[in-house]
This record gives sequence, structure tokens and C-alpha cells, in this order.
Amino acid sequence: MTTTTLLDVRGVTMRFGGLTAVNQVDLTVGQGEIIGLIGPNGAGKTTFFNCLTGLYVPTEGTVSYRGTILPPKPHLVTRAGIARTFQNIRLFANMTVLENVLVGRHTRTREGLLSAVLRGPGYRRAEAESREKAMELLEFTGLAAKADHLSRNLPYGEQRKLEIARALASDPGLLLLDEPTAGMNPQETRAAEELVFAIRDRGISVLVIEHDMRFIFNLCDRTAVLVQGQKIVEGDRETVQSDERVITAYLGAPFDGTGSTASEAEK
Amino acid sequence: MNELPQQLANGLILGALYGLVAIGYTMVYGIVQLINFAHGEIFMVGGFGALTAYLALPGGTTLWLAVPLMLAAGITVSTLVAVGAERFAYRPLRGAPRLAPLITAIGLSIVLQQLVFSFYPDAKKAKVFPKIPGDAFQVLGMTIQRSDLFLIVAAPVCMIILGWFVNRTRSGRAMQATSQDPDTAKLMGIDTDRIIVLAFAIGAAFAAVAAVAYGLRTGQVDFRMGFILGLKAFTAAVLGGIGNIYGAMVGGLVLGLAEGLATAYIQHLPGMHLFGGGAWKDVWAFVLLIVVLLARPQGLLGERVADRA
Amino acid sequence: MTTVRSTETTPVVPIPSGPARILTAAGATGTAASAFLAWTWTSGFPGDLTVYGYPGGLQWLTLAGALITLLLTLASYHLPGLRWTSPSGGNNGILYAALGAAATTWFTLIAISAELGGLANLEPGGWAAGATSLITLLGALGLPLDRHPRGAGQGITRYLGLRLAKVERPLPPVRELPSPIEVLLIVVAFATGLYAITFGLDTDYGELFTAYLLLAGFTVAALTKSGLVTRLRALAVKHRTVTTGAAFAAAAAFPFTQSSDQYTSVATNILIFATVALGLNIVVGLAGLLDLGYVAFLGVGAYAAALVSGSPASPIHVHFPFWAAMLTGAAVSIVFGVLIGAPTLRLRGDYLAIVTLGFGEIFRITMNNLNGTTGPKVTNGANGIPRIPDLVSPGFTIRGLHIPAFDFGRKHSIGGLELGRFSNYYLLMLLVTAFVVLVFARVGNSRIGRAWIAIREDETAAEAMGINGFRLKLLAFALGACMAGLAGTVQAHVSYTVTPDQYTFAEALPPNSAFLLAAVILGGMGTISGPLVGATLLFLIPKKLEFLSDYQLLAFGLALIVLMRVRPEGLIPNRRRQLEFHEADIPDQAASPETALTKAGA
Repeated sequence: MTTTTLLDVRGVTMRFGGLTAVNQVDLTVGQGEIIGLIGPNGAGKTTFFNCLTGLYVPTEGTVSYRGTILPPKPHLVTRAGIARTFQNIRLFANMTVLENVLVGRHTRTREGLLSAVLRGPGYRRAEAESREKAMELLEFTGLAAKADHLSRNLPYGEQRKLEIARALASDPGLLLLDEPTAGMNPQETRAAEELVFAIRDRGISVLVIEHDMRFIFNLCDRTAVLVQGQKIVEGDRETVQSDERVITAYLGAPFDGTGSTASEAEK
Repeated sequence: MNELPQQLANGLILGALYGLVAIGYTMVYGIVQLINFAHGEIFMVGGFGALTAYLALPGGTTLWLAVPLMLAAGITVSTLVAVGAERFAYRPLRGAPRLAPLITAIGLSIVLQQLVFSFYPDAKKAKVFPKIPGDAFQVLGMTIQRSDLFLIVAAPVCMIILGWFVNRTRSGRAMQATSQDPDTAKLMGIDTDRIIVLAFAIGAAFAAVAAVAYGLRTGQVDFRMGFILGLKAFTAAVLGGIGNIYGAMVGGLVLGLAEGLATAYIQHLPGMHLFGGGAWKDVWAFVLLIVVLLARPQGLLGERVADRA
Repeated sequence: MTTVRSTETTPVVPIPSGPARILTAAGATGTAASAFLAWTWTSGFPGDLTVYGYPGGLQWLTLAGALITLLLTLASYHLPGLRWTSPSGGNNGILYAALGAAATTWFTLIAISAELGGLANLEPGGWAAGATSLITLLGALGLPLDRHPRGAGQGITRYLGLRLAKVERPLPPVRELPSPIEVLLIVVAFATGLYAITFGLDTDYGELFTAYLLLAGFTVAALTKSGLVTRLRALAVKHRTVTTGAAFAAAAAFPFTQSSDQYTSVATNILIFATVALGLNIVVGLAGLLDLGYVAFLGVGAYAAALVSGSPASPIHVHFPFWAAMLTGAAVSIVFGVLIGAPTLRLRGDYLAIVTLGFGEIFRITMNNLNGTTGPKVTNGANGIPRIPDLVSPGFTIRGLHIPAFDFGRKHSIGGLELGRFSNYYLLMLLVTAFVVLVFARVGNSRIGRAWIAIREDETAAEAMGINGFRLKLLAFALGACMAGLAGTVQAHVSYTVTPDQYTFAEALPPNSAFLLAAVILGGMGTISGPLVGATLLFLIPKKLEFLSDYQLLAFGLALIVLMRVRPEGLIPNRRRQLEFHEADIPDQAASPETALTKAGA
């Protein structure tokens, strides 16, 4: 399978003081791919995500998107075309569902202070387009009926979906999902799977962190396994499942005395 | 004669004063993320508590006896006011919008000032506070007033007690836990309400010690003294890294030194001859704050808190 | 708001509701009638309450309170033509109205006794008013009220044993009215409002103002409970343009209701204060940046305008025309806003509070020091820049139409009505206020405003959505500074003199940073009307309660504490909070998978 490479991560390392949370990780995501990133608790998955999205400045290594190296600033990463969700949902709690998605349009719109005050035809057109796009995304995620609700009043599962809708609003080429099924029951997890496939069908690549092996293997074209900050294996379902080190990492090895080195870096 | 040692001594003494008051800000902020604006006034009422005790003593009481009694009175008044404020003004507002307690604090600050102004006898202007009589000491080219001895002794003692309390006692460790994560601390069986009260009380007691020191040093207390000193102390707390108790003292000392040195030396810098002296010292104090925050946003001793996603 | 909705509808005083209602109506009628009697024997008490057959001073307030109570009580009998006053059908409104009438009456009686030295100064009319108002209250307490059940009580009324609950009763559907009638209703509402506010502004003794505040507070509460306020708000939202227009027309009409400049000067200062508070609301309410030294930007604007005003005390000997002075003030404020903001806005959260507080102090100290002895001679130090000439808008000619020069310091006559100096400035300031309101409303509900709110809610998430947090915060800071600077230019000319002491952190009189912040938070963060209302109250209360003299600030401080305790979200709740109230009806679904499932997937 030859696809154009969207995300190219080379040798990313993140150290906090003496602690190496992420160690020399390489990863690529191609156009239209769904890539999984799994690993036990505290393996450095979220830290790795934060390095990709500019929240952390990696100690070493580079992250490039469509061939250009990304500056470590979250808003520039988003503008470049990578959007993300958060492990512990971070919606704008006191904004309505629609407004949350409109905030996601921020980088794709230009209207500044002056045009907001003057409200010329250009401004009104842009605002109408944003709203239309936002409503389309709410339809897509099944939240359109609740557009005027405060986001904090949504049930948990819908908050997750709203986070995804908000991320999609920035027209990303790559969507990073941080444990999208955390706290979901089996039915909800299946629905989330459907949603990820539907996102891919819109031409957006997805990189997803998960604990849930079954979810990942149903979903992903390739899966990378992160253990103690290092990528130990990457490949399709069979490769990963048959790998000794993965089994050891998940089930524990009798003489593994260093199991907690990376766990403090990640909540 | 070289005036540098003298300026250093003045700066350190002033700084220790700021530091003692700053501890109250930093402890309360560390635990409930509240800028307790009324803390400057807690300091002020401590001074008036001590003065009341002094005035109640028969004339001619030796200061060896009077100062401890004044201290006890000041600490009692400050602590009661602070605990009362926590219980009746701040506690009902937990869970309210973030700025509501701040407005309450501003209101409380005005109320405390005005209560003293209106009801303390003759407090509409500065009240005379006793000074420790006797000649100043000459040490290493520095002149130290006898009244400052109190602070020179009290500040380190306070810090040692505080360090012992926070690190060695059950309550102190509970306090650390609460400031790290109040919800988890609560789940672990820590009575967070009690810890919060304790933080207010300790801060108030230290402020009262500072108020006695301030009174002895300047020979007066007045109802407005809490505002600017509180502002400086809060600056010191931020400078040192808010939430860090040692940082508060370090911040206080640095701020005091900077003020002392700026007052004496800025005017000798080329082109700055009009910007020196006491009139500009507060300006330089805040400029220092801004410069430090730019270089080290977390403060001198603060830990960098990485935002967790 | 997720607490159980366990409220009960029971009386506080156990009497059957039928007789209780009769008692309320009769009591209110009696109170209204007693306002026409003499309450005291001497005209030594202000307002002359000695006349039979005609109410005076405070009696008018009792009369108004009693009539409102009567109206709401009669409405609860479902009398046709009165239903509109109480669409919610609850009785809590009647209780609040009765409380208002009783509070006003008893305040008057106590004031008479206290000031004239004893109860003997009360005439039978006064006793009658006191008794009937208590009877009304008793009757109202006997009505079925929305209350918390015993033990579950929350809120301040628990202490009085009232346990009144904040229940949003569902309103019956609105009867569609023809649009012109709805517009007319809005106009009537604003005319009433203008009258009520003018009455408050024009109160010329502290007792009257206190009673007015009591009555106004209880009446607003009563009408909120009765549902009338909700109805009016719905109308206002429906006809937004008309409402805004009516509000400004009412405000612009104010100087024409005044015979002297005495209260227009107060009103002008209120507008200045309110406009600055609204500017601060951009910074605090929208972007969530806590600015404790905001008044300094008002000062920067005022000083900049004073320096170019042509005042003989200014070292810069220029005299800018009207528009240039205003632009200068705004521009210099923006420059300072950026200078302060650029280094500090990268820091998170509360550090900004202390830096801005520091900036506020630095500004004041610097203005004090630039007097020629402790610093370069620019501002005249503590004496300030005096004798600032009045603004003059130059005359000009467009297409043959000559617009004459307009001197704000002179009296002008419009339509036979004299407008004095302060009226001129009042109208100018109203334009500035309108401009700030326009900017706030439009920017607040735009891409930029949404980004600000997102930053306020969660800056990390906002950055992850592609928002350049630093740039937008700086924009909010600069815009806020600009608004304050603009108001400052007018302020400098209105008050003739600028001195450093006008721009402190906390002082007995507004505007200062603490009062500004209090106005924003008291009024309601993130709203437009909130800071305007908050600023008006905070300006008027110290001004009118001068009889409290030494205790004025004390009362202010206490009021802040109590108000935060009772209404921490501010007097005027944010639209978002209103949404929340509506959604409180929806049960908490966090643990229900069915809803999530049915709509799951794409």
C-alpha cells in the first residue's frame, strides 16, 4: 500500500528532569490511514500526543506534517491541519454545543475585530458559512438537536462526540483521538468505532490512543505499541498480538523491576 | 563611608517583614487558590490587637514582659478575625464563580479598615506604638535599631517552626496533600475544611508577628498600613513562587533588598538621577516583579507546572 | 443546580389561603390609604409627612409598594385584565412585594422616631401604616409559597424560617400580540424604567434614597417571581433593535427631565463609570483576565487628554480639537495596554492580577512623582493638571450645510429646553457608552468573542483549537484599555482637573479599580446590562448615603460581602446561566447509555 505520508515523527524524545517519558519514537501516518497507539498505563502515550500537538516541546526529534516541520505551538499545529481531543474531556463548559464547534472554526476563518464591529456583508457571509459547517458537523455526530444546550449539560458520551465535532471543525487532515472510548460501555464503544470509520471516509486520517485492544484491532490499519516510552513494535493485528514483548508488557513479566519509570510523567 | 552594608541590612529587615506577611498569602493561595485580599488588613488588626494589649498594661511595664503579651494579643486578634472571615465570608462561597470570593475579600478588606477607623479610639490618625529604647547597635558598619532585634529573632524562629510544622506534623502533611489535590485529600480522609482554617490561622499569626515588628520598627500603627504592605507581601509571594512557603520568605527578602538598593543607588545611574529615592521605590519593586516573572514565570522557587492534557 | 428539585408549596404562617389572600388585599388597601394620612406632627423630618389627604416624600414609596402588592394579589384572583402582572401564578411575588411595602414603611417609621427622638413623634397615620403593612405581610406569609421542605433549606431566607425556594415556574404560553403593541409595551416599560431611575437619581435626602433602594430591590424581586420580568425579557429579545433604541432614547431623554445641572453631573459620572466598567467586562468577563489596575487606563486617557487640552498647566502647549483629543486618549491607552500586556499575558492566571495591580499603583505613583522635584516635570504631581478647557467641536460645512461649532461648556437650548454644561457632556458620554455597548455586543458574539470565551473556559483546549491565546488576550487587553481611555478623555474635561488620586485601587468614591471590578462582578460578568446596573448602584449608593458619612465605606464593604453571599453570579445572570436554569429541568443523563446509543454513530 503506497500512500502519501501525512505525519512523520522522527526520534521524538521527551525528558522531564531525569525521567524519560518518551524515548526515540518514530511514527508515520499516511493519507487515509487509521493508526492505533496502545500501551499500558503510563507508557507515555499522552505525553507523546502532547509532543505531537505542540503542548510539550520535545527534548529531541522532529514532527513534520505534509513534509514541513511543525513548530511546537498548539495553535500553529492546529492551523497546519492536525486536530486533537483530550483524554479527560476539555470542552468549553459554559458555551453552547454550537459555539464549541464554532470555536473549532477559528483557524479557518479570518474575521477580525474591525469586521466584527462593522458587520459588513463579508463578515456575515463568513459567519453564516461557519454556522452551516458547524451544523453539518453536529448532524454528522448526531448532536444537531442539542445545538443550543450548554456543553456541560451533555451526557458523557455526547461530550466525547462534541469534542470530536469541535476538532473536525478545523478541517484537519489528521485527527488525534486520546482514548475516545474511555468510560464507555460496549455499545457506545461500537458506535465510536462507526464514527471513526465515518471520519476516515471523509478523507481524514486518524491516530488513536487506546487501552482497549479489541477496539484498536477492529479499527486500525496499523498499531504501534508504546511501553515505558519506547515503541517496541508496530504492525498489523497479527504482528502485534504475537509479539512476546507486548504480552510481557501487558501481562507483566516476573522480574520486571523498572515498571514505574515512565508512569510519573503521565497522569 | 560605604553605605552598602547599611542598605543591605535595611533591605533584609524590610524583606523579612514582607516575607512573614507573604506566607499568609501563599498558604491560602496554595490551598484554595484565593488571593486573600483582606490579608493586609489581618496584619493591620494584629498591630492594633498588640497596641491594645500594650495600652492595657500598667505604665512602666518592662518591654521584656510587654512584647510577649502584645504578641499574644496580636496573634489572637488576627487569628480570630482570619478564621471568622474564612468561616462566614469565604466558606459559603466555595463552588461559587471564581471571582466571587475575590470581591468578598475586597469587601472584607474595606470593612476591616473601616471598623478600625470608625470604632478604635482615636484611630483616625496613626497611633503611637512603643519602641524598644536604647542605642542602636553598630555591627560590621551597619546600624541596627534595637526595635529591629525583635524581627531579626522572630523571622527565623517563625520559619523554623513553619518548616517543622509542614514537614513533620500530621496536619502539615495533610496541608501539603490538600494543596496538591483537594479532592483526593478529602477522599483520603483529610478534613479539608480544618486544613483550610489552619492555613488561614497560621497566615494570620505570622501576619500578627509581622505587625508587632512593624509597629516596633516604625513606632506607629494606622488603619491603612495593611494595604500597601499587603500589596508588597503579595508581590513577594508571587516573586518567590506562589504556593511555596519558603519562596514567600525568599521573595520578601529579594523584594526588600531591591527596594533598599533601588532607593539608594538608582539615582547614581546615568540618566536616572530623577528616578531614585523613596518616591520611586514602589515602582522599582513592581518593575522587579515584572522582570522576574518574565524570566521565571513560576517565581523564584516555584515549580514549573506542566499543563496536563 | 443538580440538587433535588424538592420544593413544597406551603404557607409560612398556617392560615387557610382564602382568608390569607383577603387579609393581604385588605392590608395592602389599608397601607395605600394610610399613605394619605399624616405620619408625624412636625415638618422637621424631610419630605413633610404631616399633610392629610396628600402623600409626601417617603409616603409615595409606601403607596407604590402597597399598590404593587395589591395589584399582584388581585391578579392572583385571576381577575381579567390583571393576569399579565403575574404570569407565573406563584405567590412568592406577592410576598416580596409585601416585604417591600413593609420594609419601606417601617424604615420610614424608624427613621422618624430616630431622627426626631422617640416614638412620640409618630401620628396615628404612621401607626396605621405600620400596622396595615404588617397585616399585609402576615397575609402574604399565609399564602401557599414555593419553599424548601424543612431541613433541606438553602439560601439566605433559611435564617428567617422562610425557606423560600428559587423556583422557575413554567410560564403559560404567550398570547401572540400584534407587533406594534409589543413594541409599545417595550416603550412603556422603558418609560416606567426611566421614571423610576430618574426618581432614584433625584432623591435629595438619604432616607428617601434608602427607602427607594429597599422598595426597588423588593419590587424587582417580586416582579421576577411573578414572571413579569421573564415576559418582558422575552419581548426584549424578540425586538432587540427596538429595545436597544428605546433604552438609549430613555437615557438620552434624561437631561430633558432635569431642571438643573445638579443631577446631570451625577448621571454623567455614572455613565463614565459604567462605560469603564463595561470596558473592564471585555477583559474580565469575556477573556477571563483578572485586571486589578484597570482604572489606570482611565487615568492614562484622562492624562493624555489633559496634556493636549491646552490647559495652561500642561507642559505640552498644544490645544487639540475635540476629536483629536479623544483619539489621542484612546491611542495612548492602547499603547499602554500593549506595553503592560505584552510581557505579562504570556503568564498564566493570577499572576496577571498582581502585575496589573502593580501597574495601577505605578501609574498613580508616577503621576505623583512627575512633578519636577522627584522626577521630570510633566504632570504637576499631586496637584494634577487643572483648568482643562471645555471641549469644543469645531464648526464645519458639508455640501453647503453649515454645522456650527459646539462648545460643551455653554448652555444650549433645544426645543425650548435649556441644556447645561453637564447635559452636553452627558449626551456626549452617552454616545461613547453607546459605542462601547455596540463594540461589546458585536465583538462578544463573533469569532473573536468566542475565542475569548474559549480562552476563559480552558486556555489549553482553546490553543488546541488553533486559537493564538497570547494574541487574543492582548487584543482583549488593548481593546479594554482603549474603551477606558476613551472614557478618560471625556472625564478629564467633565471634571476640569485630573489628579493622581482619582485613579487609586480602592477609595471611598468610584471610579477606582476595586469599585470597577465590583461593578462588573456585582452586575454580572460577561453581560452588557450587568456592569451598567452594577456601576449605577455602586456610584449612587455612596453618593446618596452621605448621611452615613463615616460609615459609608463600611456599609459598602458589608454590602459587597452580603451581595456575593446572596448572588455570587451577579445581579443580572449571564445568558449562559439562564440556559442552565432552563436545562435544570432535564434530568442528569450522565449514566444513561440509551440516549447516547440511539444517536451514536454517523
